[in-house]
Amino acid sequence: MATSDLEEFRAEARRWCQAHIPADWRQTQVGVSDEEDVSFQKAWFQELRKAGYAVPHWPREWGGGMSVAEQIVLYQELAAHDAPRLVLAFVSIHHAASTLLAAGTEEQRRRHLPAILDGEIWVQGFSEPEAGSDLASLRTTARREGDAFVVNGQKLWASGAAHADWCLLLARTDVTAPKRKGISYLLMDMRSPGVDVRPIRNASGEWHFCEIFLNDVVIPASQLVGPENEGWRVAQETLSAERGMTMLELSERLGNAGFRWLVEECSRARPDGLRLLDDALVQDGLAALETEIAGLRLLCRGLVERHEAGTAGPVEASVVKLFYSELLQRMMDFGTEVVGLAAQTSLHKPGSSGWESGAWALDFIGSWEWTIPGGASEIQRTIIAERGLGMPREPEVAR
Amino acid sequence: MNIDLSEEALEFGRLAKRALEAAGGDELAQIAEREPDRRESLVGPVLAELGAWQLDPRDSADELEAAAALCRSAGYWAVSYPVAERLCRPSDLDADGLVVVADPAPAAAVGGLDRRWAAVTLDGRRSMATARPMAASPRRSAFVVELDLESVDDAGASDVPLGLVLPCWTLLGMLDRAVELARSYVREREQFGQPLATFQGVQFQLTEAEVERVGLEELAKYALWSIEAGRHEALDDALALRLAAVEAAERVLRVAHQLHGAIGFCDETVLSWVSRQSVPLRRLPLGLSGTRAELTRRLGRRGLTGIFG
Ligand SMILES: Cc1cc2nc3c(=O)[nH]c(=O)nc-3n(C[C@H](O)[C@H](O)[C@H](O)COP(=O)(O)OP(=O)(O)OC[C@H]3O[C@@H](n4cnc5c(N)ncnc54)[C@H](O)[C@@H]3O)c2cc1C
Repeated sequence: MATSDLEEFRAEARRWCQAHIPADWRQTQVGVSDEEDVSFQKAWFQELRKAGYAVPHWPREWGGGMSVAEQIVLYQELAAHDAPRLVLAFVSIHHAASTLLAAGTEEQRRRHLPAILDGEIWVQGFSEPEAGSDLASLRTTARREGDAFVVNGQKLWASGAAHADWCLLLARTDVTAPKRKGISYLLMDMRSPGVDVRPIRNASGEWHFCEIFLNDVVIPASQLVGPENEGWRVAQETLSAERGMTMLELSERLGNAGFRWLVEECSRARPDGLRLLDDALVQDGLAALETEIAGLRLLCRGLVERHEAGTAGPVEASVVKLFYSELLQRMMDFGTEVVGLAAQTSLHKPGSSGWESGAWALDFIGSWEWTIPGGASEIQRTIIAERGLGMPREPEVAR
Repeated sequence: MNIDLSEEALEFGRLAKRALEAAGGDELAQIAEREPDRRESLVGPVLAELGAWQLDPRDSADELEAAAALCRSAGYWAVSYPVAERLCRPSDLDADGLVVVADPAPAAAVGGLDRRWAAVTLDGRRSMATARPMAASPRRSAFVVELDLESVDDAGASDVPLGLVLPCWTLLGMLDRAVELARSYVREREQFGQPLATFQGVQFQLTEAEVERVGLEELAKYALWSIEAGRHEALDDALALRLAAVEAAERVLRVAHQLHGAIGFCDETVLSWVSRQSVPLRRLPLGLSGTRAELTRRLGRRGLTGIFG
């Protein structure tokens, strides 16, 4: 796309943001109930959808079709105008869609992609009490019975499961095969009998984690994604979407919302008349962050472009995930630090905000979580070492 | 020069640790958060029985060391009670405790307690402080409230090192606990068919946390000794300790969280409580860059004197 077209698109996106982003959502979304949060999220998703902005990264035939450059411009404008984040639909538009597009049947895509646009919510049901970093050791079983699978087991840490309609589920279909060879990938209707969801409270006082108990849940065989017992391979699609593709939006957020606020905060005159920005230490810190954010944005762009061209390497998503999560933490450290006391007393985080909510103390705690999901940093490092640098595998008892 | 705590002080610390355990241990913080009205009654009487409020850390080296050991034990159980702050109470003001304040909007983790507080700024200005009501639930605020100050005098310079150093001992106790929790967690938790502790990547992170903790312990003893010895650099030493304590806390707690995985963010784990209770100690009266700036301003190009003078 020519630069002038891109600039025209930016102007259009900017006008849309100015006209459609509710000016007061940060105030109105503080302390709201779960139900209000969900309905606000769903309504906001539909606003974006009407403009063609909800799933810009999907193929055109399914309602997306923006070039990577356009996506970046859109995410920049949304961030710069402080749009609410799509927290609830995150797994639906990224994890679920990527998996269906890469490995789903035509029928599965037709059943779910339009439904996602209509507001269908998905949850990722991968982790289990005994299967975290070692995801392949999962124990939930799916027993084939005629045209269906009967599922039993327990999933843990499923973010947002309480509001989900559907679940991306990994279950063991061959208990005798080696760990990675006996797993299947299933689409599970959360309203099926035998599905029991229980919320867990986390350190910042929120409830987004859930446990899912599965007791003789029947899933039709038509909801199998990819071949039986090859779910591990399909799961890599989901994980690489989680580690890499979601980061395009997140990195623009980091640069255009979180970092910009930090600079604004540092530019404000304090009661003693001084600005933090006048301090050489603060300048140094901000410059280092700016450099790293620029690097992250380039990394993300490169990854998404190569992914679309089918040339992405096996470790690129891990590099992006590792860099994003640790940079987010460095930025939150710095933010909490320089904003100082205000950080301790401002503890109201609005719903619909991301990891840069502006409530630094909570964002700081929240950012610590980021080096864990989608494979902890150590697992990303192992992937980069083994698959990227060709290092020998770590000695292991069982794999 | 001997910077180690006396055997009596260490024994007092052990006694306090056991008494706090008997009074509820890890549950003390949990109950206080659920029922903020019980914050005082959960811990105050146990410490009174131990004789904590008879200690005058300004009076003798023995009592100062006992106070430090007590703070460390309170930190170990993350008791959510301002033990250090109460031990620092000034003898010549009608106050139950003393907090060091540094900001145009002074604050301290003294919410929900019916106590009289004195406050002192880093340059020694003393005031009586009235705690405002808690603006957020203890879960969100960790009992931090804003303070209204009523100026008293400029006679608090000698209070400041003590007011900075004792809370660092509380934080040290929290880091003792965090390392202990992480160590036992990685020995128990198995992934890839083996305890997490067998991965060198895990061992190295834990070692780094331990090195931070041990380093902090030494500095804490040194800064305490500096007060005992009445050195006029005591404030520099206290600020240097605070800087190291805040840095060590970030590193140790981060490692402990990383090694716990997702469960470390859930209140089922003690770590989640320890790290939440540690936030006010790390942020107040000055966070990392504030402490660093203050120390730099005071030292100029002179540098710290150090043990060997
Ligand atoms: C915010 C958040 C959201 C999440 N959302 C979801 C979700 O929606 N759906 C879902 O299925 N799961 C979700 N998870 C779970 C996540 O995938 C797991 O937490 C993650 O895979 C790590 O597993 P674990 O927590 O059991 O930690 P463990 O596997 O027990 O590991 C604990 C720590 O040990 C270390 N470690 C582990 N293995 C190694 C190794 N081989 N070498 C060196 N060090 C190692 C790492 O530091 C690791 O953090 C979420 C987690 C978080 C924190």
